[in-house]
Amino acid sequence: MATNGTTTNGAVDGADAFTVKAGLAQMLKGGVIMDVTTAAEARIAEEAGACAVMALERVPADIRKEGGVARMSDPAMIKEIQEAVTIPVMAKARIGHIVECQILEALGVDYIDESEVLTPADDKYHVQKSDFKAPFVCGCRNLGEALRRIREGAAMIRTKGEAGTGDIVEAVKHIRTVNDEIAKAKAALEGPGGGELALAMMAREIGADFELLKKTAQLGRLPVVNFAAGGVATPADAALMMSLGCDGVFVGSGIFKDATPEHAARRARAIVKATANFTDHQALIEACIEHGSSMKGINNAELKPEEKMAGRGW
Amino acid sequence: MALTVGVLALQGGVIEHLSLLRKAADYLTSTGATQLKSNDFEFIEVRTKEQLSRCDALIIPGGESTTMGIVAARLGLLEPLRQFVKVENKPVWGTCAGLVMLAETASATKQGGQELVGGLDVRVLRNRFGTQIDSFVADLKLPFLGEEETPFRGVFIRAPVVEEIMASQEAAEGVKSKSEDPVEVLATVPAGKAEKAAASEDIVAVRQRNVFGTSFHPELTQDIRIHVWWLKQVLNAGRHQDLVSR
Repeated sequence: MATNGTTTNGAVDGADAFTVKAGLAQMLKGGVIMDVTTAAEARIAEEAGACAVMALERVPADIRKEGGVARMSDPAMIKEIQEAVTIPVMAKARIGHIVECQILEALGVDYIDESEVLTPADDKYHVQKSDFKAPFVCGCRNLGEALRRIREGAAMIRTKGEAGTGDIVEAVKHIRTVNDEIAKAKAALEGPGGGELALAMMAREIGADFELLKKTAQLGRLPVVNFAAGGVATPADAALMMSLGCDGVFVGSGIFKDATPEHAARRARAIVKATANFTDHQALIEACIEHGSSMKGINNAELKPEEKMAGRGW
Repeated sequence: MALTVGVLALQGGVIEHLSLLRKAADYLTSTGATQLKSNDFEFIEVRTKEQLSRCDALIIPGGESTTMGIVAARLGLLEPLRQFVKVENKPVWGTCAGLVMLAETASATKQGGQELVGGLDVRVLRNRFGTQIDSFVADLKLPFLGEEETPFRGVFIRAPVVEEIMASQEAAEGVKSKSEDPVEVLATVPAGKAEKAAASEDIVAVRQRNVFGTSFHPELTQDIRIHVWWLKQVLNAGRHQDLVSR
């Protein structure tokens, strides 16, 4: 692809390449991306109005329950899902696992999630995502983490939340933290001397690239699309995250966990409706009724620190 | 007198269009191309029938066309949209997924097909160029902007193309009324590598009557030229004709 020298993301790939990567995420806004483990689940998601699916071997709730090493999905399963649906197909790779990412790119996956839900492959480095032609989405807990991933080439960000719990509290904490830090950066920018010194100090404090932080402060938002993820289990959860400023929603275990296919389809439709109409209370009532019972879930406060996935990555 | 332009906001790249529409309106008013003042232009997000009925013109943005079709159907918006496009003949522009929505038929759709609004007598081929890895940016010659104009940076993301221009329903039935409004091809790109290619060029911009469609995403650039051109078309259409300075 064309490389124009100038970059929009501070990373090493060309401006056009990044426009195309970030552009797909922009086209997913206002939509719901659903975790699926089979072609049949992918079809349910597509029929319910999902704007993309995330192919993975086990939903986070099952990874949590069963333990073991969680890895990239079986390429045969990913191919089946790609053949079954026409919406974008995303897939997860382990943090730092360059070769899993190369395999997913060669499979023609539309977005790669370098994800803390899987067992990390590298305890120091994330993948240099600008080296890839496939776009990447990564999780964050705060602004510094988001900007580090964007610096590495991520074209889309999501909250980490706490996957597989059905408890929204961590995702809320992460989007609120990002929002508060952006507000702080904005205030710094409006301060004395164009805020250069204050922003430089903040960049050092949060471990972020100065230029990216400045751009974020100027925009008043992250320079790429930011979705909610990690604990979204109900239409109201999805609408809550939208109202806090997320551009769209990932739903992991919340659709297919503790549900028949028919019930999962209703849940999926309900969460799509709630996300598209998050300010319309009548639509939200209808969505809640259609959704029915939710996954049982795990109270985040009862998890031991070593049981939490959000702490993976830096 | 005011002009209200909506952007269908069920899903996808909505604010990008709103932002470029605002810039294009400011350009038109500052250059005296219209008697309207900047605040006579109103740009709104459209999620309901009521909002749609306020609009003089509409953009259907990029996004996932299957999602848009499903959400529009569930909100009871498909029929009002068809009425807007085909009966009221109000100006409409679809980008990428919006082009798919405005086609009479589409191929490479999900199993069981998908809901469309229609309005363009064409068949679109979804995801013509392949997956996201095959998405690209290309310089486009757009004569409708003016022969001397510099190329437009066309952003193609999992983009559809017009694979066939069809005889209109009326023409097929031997009715003459609308056959005078053929589909105009406004831009093409060299055919991609996909084996589905039947011709040497892929059609990426078309117009028929008041319906305009592009495969690519002008809203992902900072280039306002197509938005300016389209707003002029809108001003020229119907009741706003008197507002265009000659």
